Amino acid sequence: MQALKINNVEKTFGKVKVLKGIDLAIEPGQFLILVGPSGCGKSTLLNMIAGLESVSNGSITIGERDVTHLDPKDRDIAMVFQSYALYPNMTVRENISFGLEIRKTPKQEKQAIVDKVSKMLQIEPLLDRKPKQLSGGQRQRVAMGRALARDPSIFLFDEPLSNLDAKLRVEMRSEIKELHQRVGTTIVYVTHDQIEAMTLGDVIAVMKDGEIQQFGSPQEIYDNPRNQFIAGFMGSPSMNFIPCQIEKVDGSMQIALESGGVQHLLPIKQNIAGLTSYAGKSVVLGIRPEQITQPGEDKADSALVSCAVEIIEPTGPDTLITVRINGVKTVCRIHPTAHCNVNELMPLQFDMSKTVFFDSDSEQRIY
Amino acid sequence: MSISRILIYGVLTLAALFYLLPLTVMLMTSLKDLDEIRSGTLLSLPQTLNFDAWGKAWGTACTGVSCEGLKGYFWNSVLIVVPAVVISTVLGALNGYVLTKWKFTGSNLFFGMLLIGTMIPFQVILLPMARTLGLLGLAGTTSGLVMVHIIYGLAFTTLFFRNYYVSIPNELVNAARIDGAGFWLIFRRIILPVSTPIIVVSIIWQFTQIWNDFLFGVVYSSGGDQPITVALNNLVNTSTGVKEYNVDMAAAIIAALPTLLVYVVAGKYFVRGLTAGAVKG
Amino acid sequence: MNASNAPRQSLGDYLPKLVVAPTFIAALVFIYGFILWNAWLSFSSSRMLPKYDWAGTIQYEKLFANDRWWVAAENLLIFGGLFIVICLALGLFLAIFLDQKIRAEGAIRTIYLYPMALSFIVTGTAWKWILNPELGVQRMVREMGFETFTFDWLVNTEMAIYTVVIAGVWQSSGFVMALCLAGLRGVDDNIIKAARVDGASMPLIYRKIIIPGLRPVFFSALIVLTHIAIKSFDLIIALTGGGPGFATDVPATFMYTYAFTRGQIGLGSAASMMMLMAVIAIIVPYLYSELREKNNEH
Repeated sequence: MQALKINNVEKTFGKVKVLKGIDLAIEPGQFLILVGPSGCGKSTLLNMIAGLESVSNGSITIGERDVTHLDPKDRDIAMVFQSYALYPNMTVRENISFGLEIRKTPKQEKQAIVDKVSKMLQIEPLLDRKPKQLSGGQRQRVAMGRALARDPSIFLFDEPLSNLDAKLRVEMRSEIKELHQRVGTTIVYVTHDQIEAMTLGDVIAVMKDGEIQQFGSPQEIYDNPRNQFIAGFMGSPSMNFIPCQIEKVDGSMQIALESGGVQHLLPIKQNIAGLTSYAGKSVVLGIRPEQITQPGEDKADSALVSCAVEIIEPTGPDTLITVRINGVKTVCRIHPTAHCNVNELMPLQFDMSKTVFFDSDSEQRIY
Repeated sequence: MSISRILIYGVLTLAALFYLLPLTVMLMTSLKDLDEIRSGTLLSLPQTLNFDAWGKAWGTACTGVSCEGLKGYFWNSVLIVVPAVVISTVLGALNGYVLTKWKFTGSNLFFGMLLIGTMIPFQVILLPMARTLGLLGLAGTTSGLVMVHIIYGLAFTTLFFRNYYVSIPNELVNAARIDGAGFWLIFRRIILPVSTPIIVVSIIWQFTQIWNDFLFGVVYSSGGDQPITVALNNLVNTSTGVKEYNVDMAAAIIAALPTLLVYVVAGKYFVRGLTAGAVKG
Repeated sequence: MNASNAPRQSLGDYLPKLVVAPTFIAALVFIYGFILWNAWLSFSSSRMLPKYDWAGTIQYEKLFANDRWWVAAENLLIFGGLFIVICLALGLFLAIFLDQKIRAEGAIRTIYLYPMALSFIVTGTAWKWILNPELGVQRMVREMGFETFTFDWLVNTEMAIYTVVIAGVWQSSGFVMALCLAGLRGVDDNIIKAARVDGASMPLIYRKIIIPGLRPVFFSALIVLTHIAIKSFDLIIALTGGGPGFATDVPATFMYTYAFTRGQIGLGSAASMMMLMAVIAIIVPYLYSELREKNNEH
């Protein structure tokens, strides 16, 4: 039995088709992330899972039940909103127990649940305060407490960290992860931040224009993006896209890269069958910044290219340098101790074992 | 203080005098006796504080056929204003709630339709309404007048609440729905508790409009059921015998007191109502 | 806030519609239905009692042949025009002065605005006394030494309409002031700072930046004032009773007199339809320009 199953769900607003046939399924206890740029439909999908938006076509199943036409309160879900949506005229305690009150939970049980939840989230001292007396992080915890109190089969999170400042966001992120590990409930989490997606999720659904572009584990999507959009969206700084020519030399595939006025031919060691039909043509090489480093141990799939350094950005743990390959700005991640100067040539090691290739026109991955 | 500051304060004070003058004159005139009025000028101070005119205005002045002062009509206005304000405010709140939190196809059209209703000159509905009240047996009664005020006040109260509720985040309602609250519970436990400012605006606005109304009063009420504005006009324009200016002024002040008091006490809400209506947004 | 965030109906949720239904029906019947009814009356031959026949445009012809109607229409233009212009000017003027960080601002604002809390009947009664030809302003000024000063506008056929302007301005200019003040304060501070860094003087800033920024507020005030002017009935009844004779008649008083005291329902309804036309002529272009601006913003 799957925790959540979305069958060919579509959503139309007036004449606009906002969701075009979404299919996905997750197991109980999994942490699903819906990630994508604004307007991709992720929040709409979340609202439909919650029952706040109606389904134009298709069905949604939670556990064994078809909930497609059920009211939010009958779906056994709980939701944490971006703006926390705490009831302003009620205390924290009343906020958390509002849902229980409506379902006529007996007073003792209600008390016990509030106590358990507030202890778990460390908000006991706040129980008698009103939302306007709380900080952003505290409000977020109360919102989570309200959701926890319902003990639902699925938690829904709608960009809960977007309103917090950067530092708090990092803190809360690990708190949410910890909570998930402790409580083990299935979670569906919407965000536009790919870092949150990578760090929090068990599975990620990358969305764009109302469709799921790719569905898989974070590492899977990171290493094996299906198209250029996904490759560029996940990972920061984003993957470099370098248009280059494919040459077939002595039966092996090579790519032509020019840097600092010098032409290089790098061998492609991976066995990518689809590339053979592109011999002599132009493709887009996808290579992540961390795959272009200072020269180190000689690795089997790497090659050395001398590049002119244009910009140097130290980040602390490493240094990002921008060079130009095939006329395109390329970001490389080097160790902070590696010495380099702007407008000087520097040898860089290209790790070709994980590079990916995309068709120049369709932006689809070449396998 | 620089010349320009003196100039500014001077102009502002002059303007203040302009606005205060009529009220002052009214007050002073009401405290004089007729001889003083005839021998003095508008701004000559009353020699003694003579409250006779006030007593007359309240209890014995002639307002057309009867000569019992304004007291009965004051009470009529109260009887008209209270139910009309309460009902139009309650309905306006519910309408605003539905229009912002439970939108349906056509809700914008409905709102636009109401909005246009605030702009029509009431002269175009006077005759049909007169006939309708007659058919319903409500012609010349306070209940009929209350009904008229409710109907034509709904557009304004709905406007106030709708514009206010628009800024209550929809996520709040969504959270309540997930918690299991329905239409009425959300209204009672979530929306109403934060509605106090706009409820006050609506009540003050409606109170002022309805208490001060004359057109509906003069057309739809008669005799002893008339509101105080109609009675005041009758009192002032009854031309039997000597014109008692002091009584006229006292009567005018009596009629003006409730709304004036409300304004002094809760003026900022009154202004909010004014600007909300004008900057319809 | 986008539309998809607003809670939408799950199936069969009739309750919200039921709740607004009474208002909807009331608006439909008592506003739009009545307007149609009134229109019919204006095309009928009704006199003392309504008669639902079709008499073509005779009521309108009667209306346009009626001298008193033209006096009323002309009075509306004179009164309306002066009332609106003076209110706007005075309101803006006072708002600018009040915007200068005045110490007793709250109190002064209260004083300027309290007339709006009064009934027009009270206002009319008060000014009727103040402008009383023998005992009012005229006597006061004479007593101050100007023996030949006359101020009998109230009973002067030519000048009476201007007394209505005075009383009306007294009542409503505070409102324009309040609107303008809010508008003045709503101008982005940063723009003003930038202008001062550029070297502009305060009067210039007012002229070139702040006052143009008041356009929407001005517009709102204009609409509301026009509305008040067209509807003016109470003020005239109390101040002049429409007189002397019918020298201060306006369409609203004309309509009332003919429909309710002279048994001319058809004529009265025609007059009220003309008033509606006047309001529509103002509202429609305003709505059109508002909608157009909103579309441009997208």
